[in-house]
Amino acid sequence: MVSTIRVKRKAREILLYTLILIILLWTLLPLIWLFLSSIFPYKELISNRLNHWIPSHATFKHYLSFFNPEKEISSRFLSALRNSLIVASITTLVCLFFGSLAAYAVVRIQFRFKRTMVLSLMFIRMLPTITLIIPFFIIVNLVDTKLINLFGANVHLYDSRSLLIILYTSFTLGFVIWIMRGFYLTMPEELEDAARIDGLTRLQTVFKIVMPLSSNGLVATGVLAFLLAWDEFILALIFTRTENAVTLPLFIAELGSQYIHDFTQISAAGVMACLPPFILVLIFQRFIVSGLTMGSVKG
Amino acid sequence: MTRSEMSTKKLLIILVLPSVVIIFFVILAPIMFSFFISLNKASPKLGGIDLHWRGISNYYNFFFNDPQFWLSVRITLYFTIVSLMVELIIGTGIALVLNREFFARSLVRAIILIPWAVPTVVNARLWEWIYAGNDFGALNGILKVLGILAKDHNVVWLGFDTPFADTPILGSFFSWMGVSRALNMIIIADTWKVTPLVVFLLLAGLQQIPKTLYEVGSIDGANSWKKFWSITYPYLKPVYLVILVLRTMELFRVFDIIYILMQYSIRVVGVYTYEIGMKFLKFGQGATLSFLVALFILAFTLIYIRIFYREEV
Repeated sequence: MVSTIRVKRKAREILLYTLILIILLWTLLPLIWLFLSSIFPYKELISNRLNHWIPSHATFKHYLSFFNPEKEISSRFLSALRNSLIVASITTLVCLFFGSLAAYAVVRIQFRFKRTMVLSLMFIRMLPTITLIIPFFIIVNLVDTKLINLFGANVHLYDSRSLLIILYTSFTLGFVIWIMRGFYLTMPEELEDAARIDGLTRLQTVFKIVMPLSSNGLVATGVLAFLLAWDEFILALIFTRTENAVTLPLFIAELGSQYIHDFTQISAAGVMACLPPFILVLIFQRFIVSGLTMGSVKG
Repeated sequence: MTRSEMSTKKLLIILVLPSVVIIFFVILAPIMFSFFISLNKASPKLGGIDLHWRGISNYYNFFFNDPQFWLSVRITLYFTIVSLMVELIIGTGIALVLNREFFARSLVRAIILIPWAVPTVVNARLWEWIYAGNDFGALNGILKVLGILAKDHNVVWLGFDTPFADTPILGSFFSWMGVSRALNMIIIADTWKVTPLVVFLLLAGLQQIPKTLYEVGSIDGANSWKKFWSITYPYLKPVYLVILVLRTMELFRVFDIIYILMQYSIRVVGVYTYEIGMKFLKFGQGATLSFLVALFILAFTLIYIRIFYREEV
């Protein structure tokens, strides 16, 4: 009797660890392949996969070529990296600042159109970016025609980082308000009351008490917003063309020509584009998970 | 009006106004403009656009005179529904496994989240390379090593053949839906990236369930299947609703991965909208389509909420 229970438990354990192994393989194999592809010499990567899984002459030259000013690809890569970092960071900071204040007000203050506002926030959250591209495109064209007439050909919105930041706000701000709203709904109100009794005005309370207290929520939301902006593709596809504004996703999507797809280069660029999100996810893992669940608070 | 009421109103304006103004300029005004455009035949001209009033005929034409529109809707529905099912089944399975006690659990959980952080574009190109339809492709290679595929044979994974084309009813159904092998493979690639999100939302839900419930269940002699449906599922129901809403709206609007891998050859509604609006520069019809996409997503959400709340009564 005892031994059958023990055998059963052992069998269960083996099953559990087998399942975990399968899950890990499913998760990691594609990523390992991405990394291996990036350190293959091109000639070796283009070979039969029956026996060529690990490069016999591993090389980091594809990575180095991104940072070597003599290579043609270097300036394109570096400008794309810079554009992505700038656009994603500024979008995140702006939306985090305004969005968290608005979210706080929506949760704590009673006002007449509160229900309408929460409902419209939900609709905005559901709105696909594709619904906005045509009006954006027409408006940007009209504005640019005016700007070029007024200030000459060098002043335009199209193909500029400022335009991307404005456009990225359209999907980031609503997202930030929605998630921060979930955070404030679960934050106890007592401390704020105490602060007010101590003589702080309401605005002081917001900046001196509420904001420091919500640092966890702000970090979680900030990381998620950054990842969202880092990942954006269609707006960059339509509104950028040169090194002024092309972002990393667009750069990677357009690597390779019609005839040759050099996947060593593409994989290396892919690994580079993964690094910032990976670092953020590994450092802030716990915050991110709480952020994901904050956004799912009903209401 | 008392002083505190005054200050509340002022506070509200200070806190909310910037966001309201931004949202008005980057979302509400463009949407209203877009609705106006959708009622016109609109095309670009030098320094502006050419408008001809059409009323609702753009909408009418998509609904009644455009077979491609309905084919796009069917393809998108297939992509959405199949992806959802795969994500939910695999996600639930992984979440149940990771919810158990085991060695290095927090490390494993951290690893599981990684694919979710891979940018969509990188994910697309990664799977494009895995699916390469020649000797170089990793999927072909693995299947050959495992002996599933003949050594001199290669499958073009991102090809257009209809699955089960020779099976009588299934084959014609799939070809009517616009299903191709490429579409199915893209579903797998997309599932790989987003399942971690489903897993983590479910894990958060699983942690709310008191352990004692399962002990009671064991005493009553319930097996694992029964325990899942009678104990776990009721607790997870709100989480499933959130996942369904979130994922449906993301899946139905899909554009990036399909456009990068297939350009215009798999016309989900997102790609069709982009093609009409941005490639052919038919702004009026493009705006119409983009509104229809948004309406579909809204309809889905309302249906989900209806179903889930009716069950609760």
